Amino acid sequence: MSVRVHPELRNQLIQFGIGDWNACYHCGTCTAQCPLSEEGFLFPRKKIRLMQMGLKDELEASVEPWLCYYCGDCSTSCPRDANPGELMMSLRRYLTSIYDWTGLSKKFYTSELWELGFIIVFATLVVLSFLIVLPAMGYHFTKQLTAEGGVQVNAFAPIHVVETFDWTMAAIVASLLVSNILRMYYKIIWKYGNMKVSLWVHIREFWLLIFNFAVQPKFNKCDDKRYWLSHWFLMSGYTIMFIVIVVYLPWFQTEKILPVYDPQRLLGYYATFGLLFGLFIAIIGRFKKKDVKFQFSHVTDWLFLVMLTLTAISGILIHIFRIHGMPLATYISYIAHMAILVPMILIEVPFSKWSHLAYRPFAVYFQQLKKHAVPR
Amino acid sequence: MEEPRIGVYVCWCGTNISKMVDVEAVTKEVSTLPYVVLSKNYKYMCSDPGQDLIIKDIKLHNLNRVVVAACSPRIHELTFRNACEKAGINPYLFEMANIREQDSWVHTDRNEATKKAIDLVIAAIRRVRFHEPLQKRSVNVDPATLIIGGGISGMTAALEIANAGKQVYLVERADHLGGQVARFDLTFPHLSSARQMLLPMIRKVENHPMIRVYLKTELQEVKGYIGNFRARLQFMGTDQPEITFGNIIAAVGLKPFDPSVIEEYSYGKFPDVITSLEFEDKLRAGRILTKYGKEPRNLAIIHCVGSRNKKYHEYCSRVCCMVALKFVHEIRAALPDANIFEIYADMRAYGKGHEEFYAMTTHKQIIFLMYDQQKRLPVIREAHRDDDCNMLIEMSELLSGIDIEVPVDMVILMVNMEAHDNVRDVVRTIGVSLCGNQFFIEKHPKLDPVATTTGGVYIVGTCQGPKDIPDSVSQAKAAAARILGTIAQGSVPVEVTTAMVNESLCCGCQTCISVCPYTAVSFDEIKKVSVVNEVLCKGCGTCGGCCPAGAITCKHFTDRQILSEIEGIMSMSY
Repeated sequence: MSVRVHPELRNQLIQFGIGDWNACYHCGTCTAQCPLSEEGFLFPRKKIRLMQMGLKDELEASVEPWLCYYCGDCSTSCPRDANPGELMMSLRRYLTSIYDWTGLSKKFYTSELWELGFIIVFATLVVLSFLIVLPAMGYHFTKQLTAEGGVQVNAFAPIHVVETFDWTMAAIVASLLVSNILRMYYKIIWKYGNMKVSLWVHIREFWLLIFNFAVQPKFNKCDDKRYWLSHWFLMSGYTIMFIVIVVYLPWFQTEKILPVYDPQRLLGYYATFGLLFGLFIAIIGRFKKKDVKFQFSHVTDWLFLVMLTLTAISGILIHIFRIHGMPLATYISYIAHMAILVPMILIEVPFSKWSHLAYRPFAVYFQQLKKHAVPR
Repeated sequence: MEEPRIGVYVCWCGTNISKMVDVEAVTKEVSTLPYVVLSKNYKYMCSDPGQDLIIKDIKLHNLNRVVVAACSPRIHELTFRNACEKAGINPYLFEMANIREQDSWVHTDRNEATKKAIDLVIAAIRRVRFHEPLQKRSVNVDPATLIIGGGISGMTAALEIANAGKQVYLVERADHLGGQVARFDLTFPHLSSARQMLLPMIRKVENHPMIRVYLKTELQEVKGYIGNFRARLQFMGTDQPEITFGNIIAAVGLKPFDPSVIEEYSYGKFPDVITSLEFEDKLRAGRILTKYGKEPRNLAIIHCVGSRNKKYHEYCSRVCCMVALKFVHEIRAALPDANIFEIYADMRAYGKGHEEFYAMTTHKQIIFLMYDQQKRLPVIREAHRDDDCNMLIEMSELLSGIDIEVPVDMVILMVNMEAHDNVRDVVRTIGVSLCGNQFFIEKHPKLDPVATTTGGVYIVGTCQGPKDIPDSVSQAKAAAARILGTIAQGSVPVEVTTAMVNESLCCGCQTCISVCPYTAVSFDEIKKVSVVNEVLCKGCGTCGGCCPAGAITCKHFTDRQILSEIEGIMSMSY
């Protein structure tokens, strides 16, 4: 079976990153020195070739872009300055847009107007719900300001409403993500190659998914361990925050200010520290541009970092204002926090950079399935 | 014959010979041989003091034969012959024994090497005894030159010679000058116009008072030898007056390969599969359109069509890779959004500015696809009905190992350059030889790439092998310089060691005529004997070797000389 060449693919891909991938003359240096490339799953050279040739179907069936953690050694050692590392990054962006069936991902990656418009619309919706919808339901935060008792978050943003909203949003995001993962599975395992993977292999190798989600062992194989550590802090901080907010909101959003050593506060502090530490490393890195992985920043990279930072800062502000008994400042911070958080989660998790939280561990899982596949 | 008085000189060649050969022993061993008057050894015989030693000895000891045991005669035979001449004896009364390349350099046992050196020197001594004096000869050179082919090589040579004030006859088969270059649009790697380069040149050639251009003219026959040729020309079937000239330049060029023999490419079957030259025609016309008058969206350029393939031609045509890259620039300029595929076997960018040109072209959004010339050629097929292209190219892509199909609307075949169909006639007419690829063979592939083994006949341009414009032009100018040199001298030396027929022994079998590679032997119908033209004869000895009557003697290689040399080498038994 011949594979069709799609000459326009290169022009499409260039919107997802930067590089002169045509400069590659296939010496293979990048693949030879990559600590993650292995027999049967060789990259980046092979992926560059697919891209140069415009083999769209083959690229979309590739699991390799997700197995790369962008240490940047390939780009440093490339004798032609073809920037293979950035190609793998661009491919991850491209694949994210391919797995997504709504088409929104592609819009966000290729059009700043779409991305910014989406953020503004959803931020406005959040603000409007606090200013109009909730008051209409009887929760006037202006009333709370005059009442005795200082900051009363629950009276302003009642737990059951916020919790319902949290669960709804989590369900939407999760269903989008799950449907995209299914598409990823279809493209990598189901549709492509003459292979068959037994159900038992599916079950037996499932632990890899959990393990890779929690620890990112492949990232640790990359030469610079510092990035693995800062990423792990960021990831664990975010995961804790997510679980706490969605699952344990009543335990987390209390009116009573608990002592500093209480697990509620300690967990919150850890999560905040993890987020800030990871963000600090990433932002400084992108400003300094010393490491290859930070040299090129797609618009979406910056938007993600800025939004996550703003989310963290507004979260911290809520905490400070609440402890110091400043109701209005607390409520405004709360609204701001939500106005940034909601569009960020909606864009990033199913459609953009943050979807890698699922794609990366699933890719390792799929890679393992492919290894145990038998020819059909 | 006067009594031979032989002087023997053994060279040390620094340590090159003396390290492995006991030169003292050799000198001593041969000193007692008959007719040897003296034998000496010296550190460097080829040095001025070394040569002076010979010259002084000849005069002092009245020597009339000289043997030098040193390096290969290819290196210093002429040096010592000149020394002999200076001392007043005929240079052919000299013989050289090669005890370096054939002895000291190739052996590791000093004793054995010394014995071998003695053998070789004795052989030379025995041989030189029978050497006869030979006289140098030369022929006058007619200052006119015939140039066959009016392409860029032929015109360059013509202008070079004519500008020096010498007559040139330029014969061109077609009705116009310019050759293949006249079909090109732009040239690589500077993307300058071929037309703008060629037109002033053609005008200069046509209007030059010293150049006579014969268009639509074929060369019928060439007779004579270096310095004194004459030719019959035919203009559109009618005979022209005979012309005489002293030198010939063959600049007949090559022609594009006909790709219709390659089934995979369906050339001639699909109208939008065209050759590189047909595409040049489109470029010169200024429009790149398919057969159906549409601008092609996908263009593929297939390299090495008929080249580097044992089925067609094994050699590389050298220029097609760069022409293909040139096409990329021209297509990009005309069709900025077109998809361009370079389907290549190897990208060859050997020349000045070529690698840079290649690197520059890679940034033009081209898809480079590699195929394996030896395994499987790409196949051009008709597209399916629902495809948005005219044709599909199916191929195994070598760098990825994937079988792919490429959508295309127009395919350009980079055709090989091959010899003209009538090249054998030309070769026979002017007396040169062809290599297996039907290219003219040069005298020496490195040191004399413009001359041929036939004196006065030079080859320039692509008929010697595929090459680009600068290479053709340099070769043309080199040949012109060589010819102007012989014209300036007025005469050229010819071979002295030629064959000689003893008419009383010749039985008239004409075997010699059939074997002579230089057509130097002819038959005298009146005397019924073979006659050697001493100007054409190169002294190869083939006729002498095959003459059943022993009637042919080769000067300086007589039976007596060779047999006594053999006797000499066999005389010592250890």
